[in-house]
Amino acid sequence: MLNWIARDRVATLLLVTIAVLLAVGVAAPGFLAPSTASMIWSNGLVLMLIALGVFPVILTRNIDVSGGSVLGLSAVTLGLSLNAGIAMPIAIAMTLGAGLAAGAVNGVLVAVLGVPSIVATLGTLGLFRGVMLIATGGEWIEELPETLKALGAKSLGGLSVMGICTGLVIIAVWAFLRSRRGRWVMVVGDNRAAARHLGLPVKRIEFLAFVWGGGMAALAGVTFAAQIGFVPNQAGTGIELRAIAALVLGGISLLGGVGSVAGVVIGVIFFTSIDTALVFLKIPAYWNDLIGGAMLLTVLLIDGRLRIALEARDRAARYHRGDAQAPQPKKLEDAA
Amino acid sequence: MKPALAELISVSKNYAHIPVLKGVDFSVYAGEVHALLGGNGAGKSTLMKILAGLVTPTGGQVRIGGKALSPATPSQAQAMGLYLVPQEAHIFPNQSVLENVCVGLPQAASAYRSRVKDLIARLGVTLGLDTKAATLEIADRQIVEILRGLIRDAKVLILDEPTSALTPLEVETLFTRMRALRESGHGLVFISHKLHELRAVSDRITVLRDGHVVHSEAMEDSTDAEILAAMSPGVTALSDRVAGKIASEEKVLSLSHLSGEGFVDISLDVHRGEVLGLTGVVGAGRTELAETLIGLRPRAGGDVMLEGRPFRAAKPSDAVKQGVVHLSEDRQQYGLFLEAPLYWNTSSFVYEQLPFFLRPAREQKRFETYRKSLGIKCASPDQPVGSLSGGNQQKVLLSKCLAAEPKLLILDEPTRGVDVGARNDIYRIIEDLAATGTSVIVISSDFDEVVRLSDRIAVMAGGHLAGELPAGASTDAIGQLAFESKETLHA
Repeated sequence: MLNWIARDRVATLLLVTIAVLLAVGVAAPGFLAPSTASMIWSNGLVLMLIALGVFPVILTRNIDVSGGSVLGLSAVTLGLSLNAGIAMPIAIAMTLGAGLAAGAVNGVLVAVLGVPSIVATLGTLGLFRGVMLIATGGEWIEELPETLKALGAKSLGGLSVMGICTGLVIIAVWAFLRSRRGRWVMVVGDNRAAARHLGLPVKRIEFLAFVWGGGMAALAGVTFAAQIGFVPNQAGTGIELRAIAALVLGGISLLGGVGSVAGVVIGVIFFTSIDTALVFLKIPAYWNDLIGGAMLLTVLLIDGRLRIALEARDRAARYHRGDAQAPQPKKLEDAA
Repeated sequence: MKPALAELISVSKNYAHIPVLKGVDFSVYAGEVHALLGGNGAGKSTLMKILAGLVTPTGGQVRIGGKALSPATPSQAQAMGLYLVPQEAHIFPNQSVLENVCVGLPQAASAYRSRVKDLIARLGVTLGLDTKAATLEIADRQIVEILRGLIRDAKVLILDEPTSALTPLEVETLFTRMRALRESGHGLVFISHKLHELRAVSDRITVLRDGHVVHSEAMEDSTDAEILAAMSPGVTALSDRVAGKIASEEKVLSLSHLSGEGFVDISLDVHRGEVLGLTGVVGAGRTELAETLIGLRPRAGGDVMLEGRPFRAAKPSDAVKQGVVHLSEDRQQYGLFLEAPLYWNTSSFVYEQLPFFLRPAREQKRFETYRKSLGIKCASPDQPVGSLSGGNQQKVLLSKCLAAEPKLLILDEPTRGVDVGARNDIYRIIEDLAATGTSVIVISSDFDEVVRLSDRIAVMAGGHLAGELPAGASTDAIGQLAFESKETLHA
């Protein structure tokens, strides 16, 4: 059990999430039902996609705070092209194209021009939002076609089409990170100079991470428009910070090189469950931020204390020296 | 003549109009070990980085396997069969040892598991493949770098000071591997500051000074004196030990049955004005002992007396206040503030004594006195310390320790990556210190250095004190103590 927690923060978080859900279930009967699970999943889709987009960027020790604006920009691209009578597959392709292009702008700024990623994406955060507002003239886009809304509605086994897509993306990212090239993303963030020294295409990896982030934000934009059926001006505002908070909660290090897909998924689900639970408990929505923030800090503190205790145990094991006769040839394996 | 596997033709390099290399020719043939020697700042590392595609030359040609290196990138150089094992190990702290070795190879790491295991066994070291690299000691990190080179099957392997953190036993096994590679037609470049190591494996030697080739001959045709003279005119040999020093009986530090992380039951005395050499193989617990003394690691048991009073440091600043100053073996990570000016580094142990409003002029003056007495070569006290060569960085570190006016100075590997000239200076500084009554503990894996410096030698093995030897003991005697218990450990 302790070893399991030691391996990953994900384990701590999973336990806390389950405890919270059970507690809410006790307080509000009817909460613990399959329909709640499906609701949490669909409520969390947009945040999940944004988080999955930022994830590789953070793994390479960069950051992307433009996700919300890319979401807005692509949702508007989708809305405008659909309302102009363009067929849905083409409209979605254009939307993804817009997201990838926005990601490429970030990628060029950071990987090619060498702008620090926080500065570059803060800039494009405003820039993309501005492009979106100019495109709509400041108006909301309403009356999206039913075919689009169908993508966000429940179809197969309580899941929407976008929900299934997101599931596939999760599996794809998981498989990618286990592959040889997936490992490259992690090592670039772990030690950039070393990665360059070993002949990895560091700049290309960073660039592609940003492009991926843009693409995922576009997918989030499609999901957003499909789920609520219109595109407001402030679509996606602030979601990038929630995504980054969920990632941190899921054990993804902002210093790069550390993190797992399981962490992303649990982090996002944790945040969404709290929001959903508050609705069930009939707590006014304006409490959400306070409770969410407090939970974030609690989990991080508990996890931090656990980790300190475990590290002390590992050190003791590593430096344990018995009598002179006691052989210890496997000193390093013990520390692992 | 055998074919040249890698060639540099009149390569030059300028950094901001300052020439570092001036038309250097260099080549490695199949089946030879080519030694490259030069003082700190002579341009060896830059030259090798150019060969490995990490640095673009200002002029001249780089050819690997008869073809020009283009584009000049590390991945292209590796694809053409050349790998550089750098001096400072580049590791990925959050990845396993196996991943660290195999990143960038054409297949996933798991495919190489058995080969890496085999190489580790052949090098004769213990290293867990699934250990997180962050937990590795500095020597094991260097082993990881060497493994990277070996697993890549590069036709040309450049080893930039691979032995600086290794023990003699590990050095010997590395040499065996190098000879085997030479027999199988590989070309190796071997950079080291230790002449006897170069002599043990090299066929040819090239000496660089101030960006020029000043000596390039077959190894057997070059005498030590010639090589040293070429490298730094005026120095013909390492200065010898001053004989006939009278040891003081007064104990400055005495440990009784001290235990902690990685060592048990250490009882030792250090006398006033004595240089105590503390040696052993890597992992023997020397560094841990030093770090425990100054409060970086928890103490498990035992007592320490400093000048007759109980001594306990909860944190390093306690130790400094009581006159015990420690210099870490990893100067880049724990010693220097690389981006900070030289004089800030000199003041860094005594910040608490500085006035509320800093007086830079006074600090610079302090630096100036140490610059003169230690012979630090620099342009100005405002220079960032990262821009100095290894030997001068080490002297800056010494100046910082001296500024704290220690009673007991603990130096962990004080001459790692330092050239012969600067090494002589550092030996002289240590001797001068001892002569003025400061006790010095020198931790070193270089048995020759320990013999050269120490008034008394303590050898640790497997966390225990394996024995004490008087001044002038032979390196064989040290080796016996250091390795004997290691063999029982493996049994």
